[in-house]
This record gives sequence, structure tokens and C-alpha cells, in this order.
Amino acid sequence: MHEYSLAQALLAGLQDHLRRNPVPGRVVKVHVRKGELLSLSEWALREAWRLLTEGTELAGSELVLENVPVRVRCPACGYAGEARRLTEEGWHIAVPILSCPRCGSPVEVLEGRDLAIVGLTVGEAPGT
Amino acid sequence: MHDLMGPFGDVLQRQLELASQNYARLKAKGVRAINVMGAIGSGKTELILRLAEKLRERGLRVGAIAGDVAGDDDYQRFRAAGLPALQINTGDQCHLDAHQVGHALENFPLGQVDVLFIENVGNLVCPADFPLGTDADLVVISVTEGDDMVRKHPKIFAQTDVVAINKVDLAAFVGVDPERIAADYRRVNPHGRVVFTAAKSGRGVEELLAALGF
Repeated sequence: MHEYSLAQALLAGLQDHLRRNPVPGRVVKVHVRKGELLSLSEWALREAWRLLTEGTELAGSELVLENVPVRVRCPACGYAGEARRLTEEGWHIAVPILSCPRCGSPVEVLEGRDLAIVGLTVGEAPGT
Repeated sequence: MHDLMGPFGDVLQRQLELASQNYARLKAKGVRAINVMGAIGSGKTELILRLAEKLRERGLRVGAIAGDVAGDDDYQRFRAAGLPALQINTGDQCHLDAHQVGHALENFPLGQVDVLFIENVGNLVCPADFPLGTDADLVVISVTEGDDMVRKHPKIFAQTDVVAINKVDLAAFVGVDPERIAADYRRVNPHGRVVFTAAKSGRGVEELLAALGF
């Protein structure tokens, strides 16, 4: 529901990065990690990216989204790993449960709230 | 073609940093803050007013920040009840974020309150992704929304530790079983606390305060 504002934040951050660290060619793919806990539509994010990059140096670049599963840590028993998921018939979504899969205690979220650019695929520079 | 890998900055990490700054600002003034979320018309404002009454009876000073897309109706209700209050209009944004709340805190008389309720924009999707830097989160559901609210919005409930099922006095009229909502919530959040409330009559308000740690 807030894909445009977050796509704008990703774009602004990347443009700032590219001003300080120019790349030898055109950016063709932007690799993004998206946490499973976030309520973001991948389709809407890609569409927002397409529209917001129009007229910028990133026009035509593709947003490649990698879903980051929720990983948790249990302060009680030390478990660290993927969260348990609840899948109920008719829910049509696997819900990550913030409870230790091993001992049932409350857990901390290690990963799964991320929204970060983690890499770029850069094409050949023009004229080379 | 070649790939450049490495962190380029997490855009939500920035929100977490701003939320920590808000938390530090609130703690510096000794203020406990509660982020109150829930659908439009679930009874967030009325419930805050009832909670505020009980807290003031205990000698605590209470204030409120109202977050809405437009208008200042909730702000006016808080002011009419004598609470220091401030309105945030998000200008079509469907949730409050830590940046907006940070500016509100700069302008809020934090020295005049012990407890601050931050009423989020009516929405059960987006607020879950934006921590504000509060001590506790509360989601309000009203029985008049139907008994399927948790199943339709499981992520926000999986991440929220206190839920008020409000308007329970109307459950029979709308044919909704509040226990069904509570059972769904316990499945997605085994550690959460559920309180049945009817804000207009004051039912459950003391229990809700206890669940919020007061």
C-alpha cells in the first residue's frame, strides 16, 4: 500500500549512491531484498519503479525482488532460524508466527523487515 | 554485463533509526507512548478517551496525537476532553511514519504528559510496516467489522501484542462471535493479549490498561 513512497526512497538512495560512486555503464537490473513481513505488492513495486525512473538515468532498469523469509532468534532457548508459518485453509497466505518453533517463547525478528538494494547489474558502457 | 554487490542502504532501516530517535526523545521526558492502530470506525478515539479518563484518575497526565489523512475531528475530541493534543494530517499517506511523528514530538508539550497515545491512520495493512518508537502497540477491532478481520489482515496481528476487540455490546446485533476473532488472533500471535471492550460503556478499559502494562 506504500509501494510508491518506498520505491521513491529506494530510487533517491540509489541516485545518491551513483552520484558518489559512478558505474561504468547503464544500470540494467537493481536487486532488492524484500522482507516477508512487509505488506508490499511486488507487482506494484515494480510498476512504481518503472514510472518513477522515467526520465532518470535509471529509466528502463528492472527491479529484481528477492523475498527474504522471516528469521527469528529465541532469547529463551537460543534457537536461530526460520520462523514457523501458519497456513490455514482459505487464508491463501502463510503467516510467519513470531514464536519460537522449538520452545514456544516470544522471539526477536532477525530478518524479514528488510527493504534494501543489495546489488546492481551494469551493462557495457556506450561505445565500448 | 557485470554485477556490483553490497549494501546500498535499507530504506526501512532509516525508519527504524528515526523510530529509535523518537523513543529516546520520549524517554528523555519520561513519557510512555502507545501506538493505537485499527480500521476506520473501530473506536480508536473513543477508547483512547476512556483509557485517558482512567489514567487521569490514577494521577497520570495524558496527551494524544491524532493521525488522519485529512481533518481534525479526532484532535477536537481530544481537546474537548482536556488533553494536550496535536493533529498530523498525512496528506493521503495511509499510515503514520517515524519521520512525521518525530516532527510532531518536536511540537508537542511532552513535559506536560506522562502517557502519550498516538492514534494511527485507520488502516490494518500499512501501519504494521512503520514502527514509530512507542513503548507498546495496540490494535483495535470492532465486532461490527465482522468476525473475519484477523484472517483478512493476519500480518499486523502477528506483530501486535495487545488487541482490543471493541463494541462487544453490539456483537449480538450484528451476529458476530467475538471469541472467534480472539481465537484467530491467538493462532497468529500465541503471546498476544486480547481484551474485550465496549468503550462507550467503559467495559474492559481497566483490563486493557493492565494489558498495556499500566
